[in-house]
Amino acid sequence: MATPPDTLDKVGAGLDALDAPVGARKAPLWQRFLKTGVPPIIAFALLIGVWQALWASAILPEFQLPAPGDVWNELVRSISTGEAFGILWTSLHRAVLGFAAAVVIATPLGLLIAKVRVVRAAIGSLLTGLQSLPSVAWVPAAILWFGVTPSTIYFVVLMGSVPSIANGLVAGIDQVPPLLPRVGRALGAGRLASARHILLPAALPGYLAGLKQGWAFSWRSLMAAEIIATSPQLGTGLGQYLHNGSSLNDINMVIAAIFLILLVGIGIELLLFRPLERAVLRARGLTGAL
Amino acid sequence: MTATLETTALSTVDTAVELAGIRKVFGHSGSAVVALDGVDLLVKPGEFVCLLGASGCGKSTLLNIVAGLDAATSGELRINTSRPAVMFQEPALMPWLTAARNVELALRFAGVGRLARRRRALELLDLVRLGDAADKRPHELSGGMRQRVALARALASTTVSADGAPALLLMDEPFAALDAITRDVLQSELLRVWETTNTAIIFVTHDVREAVRLGQRVVLLSSRPGRVVREWDVTSPENGNDEVVDEINTHLREVISGHAS
Repeated sequence: MATPPDTLDKVGAGLDALDAPVGARKAPLWQRFLKTGVPPIIAFALLIGVWQALWASAILPEFQLPAPGDVWNELVRSISTGEAFGILWTSLHRAVLGFAAAVVIATPLGLLIAKVRVVRAAIGSLLTGLQSLPSVAWVPAAILWFGVTPSTIYFVVLMGSVPSIANGLVAGIDQVPPLLPRVGRALGAGRLASARHILLPAALPGYLAGLKQGWAFSWRSLMAAEIIATSPQLGTGLGQYLHNGSSLNDINMVIAAIFLILLVGIGIELLLFRPLERAVLRARGLTGAL
Repeated sequence: MTATLETTALSTVDTAVELAGIRKVFGHSGSAVVALDGVDLLVKPGEFVCLLGASGCGKSTLLNIVAGLDAATSGELRINTSRPAVMFQEPALMPWLTAARNVELALRFAGVGRLARRRRALELLDLVRLGDAADKRPHELSGGMRQRVALARALASTTVSADGAPALLLMDEPFAALDAITRDVLQSELLRVWETTNTAIIFVTHDVREAVRLGQRVVLLSSRPGRVVREWDVTSPENGNDEVVDEINTHLREVISGHAS
């Protein structure tokens, strides 16, 4: 009112400078490595140390608790003969194929459940229930239906991961603030444009959480299926390798198999899901969880 | 023939928005609430009208009806402008898009090509003095800056039509959540933008001072049901702003105390 406009302009510019959140300075690479890379290495080294000490104390017989070195030798043997790569390839390509199929099935399913009231009422709780059903429970039925074939394995993987992915998408859509689609409508977006440019991107964090969980479920379902459904025609995956170790009473092989299963789980998390999640959350200013 | 054409041309020039007997009832017969009852309102192209009222006067409902987000139970609504743009109390920016892309989104829905989108978005961000913040995301901006991005986006969606139809901006208490200094700056910013773009604005507020400062005309609504109580022309108040503010305040208090039981 009494203030001349150019003074207000300056006040405005000053406010912008003062009020804009200050972005955190990025720490140098070695500092970030010190913070995020070193603790897990130390924890792993400690674990091996405790293991070695337990073995040395000889409380448990050798066929139950092997020496870390013996397991390491088994790993080196299977890697140097190329056996490990064959095993990993068999399991990984099954898991990736199964997971991809699960994504293709679960995404439209999740969209339907989230947006169509009747569908949600009809199968929403069934899907949540399926999530708590261990997928290994499907193995006996699947063997009766499909025999000991790859179909059995894929069926179990799908039953494990589809509910997680669909539920993640539903949760993601449910958590979209209602104001955003409303703004879209005010801006003249049709149903399709609104779904593509507002609803799906807004639901992305929840969807990604569902994908991550879906991957974990498909990986463990695959292991369960491979351990139970073994036959020469299925080839040797990680589950069969583990099963063989148990049949041969070879504890080195068993521990090596468990180690490889873990390695794949951690590897996929670190190489694929962690960076994806980080990029998505960081773009939204949700840096608290990193 | 020519005469008819002239009258239609005249009427489109004369009114941007025309509301006649707008009535809005929520709920069904037993527990029905009459939110708006026979609201008449005329807004000229480029006019700045403030809708003032206490809570429950249905001012937001009225705005939603004009915006097409809600339908009136009865009454007539004529809009002679391009698609009306709406601004809410929250900026409601898409958190995953940069400021420029948020503005572009409005143009994208209108089918504007990529390059033209980008150019227009930067123009509008410059208009609200956020040209430097085009590539920042909402969480990197202050509350006032976010609301200015929302203003740029609203302008983008209403000034998009090529035929030069007059623009209409609907604002629902857009500065209510801001601190006093920021609100002051944004009010003057809005006036500047309004003067340069010649957009008709319907501005909903419960702040009498804000209404008198911004509007050319202040329309007071009663509460439950909402009706137009009185209008004030505040373009050139003879007695100065303060007296108009006092007068409107007195009326507003009367409207509110009428509900004491």
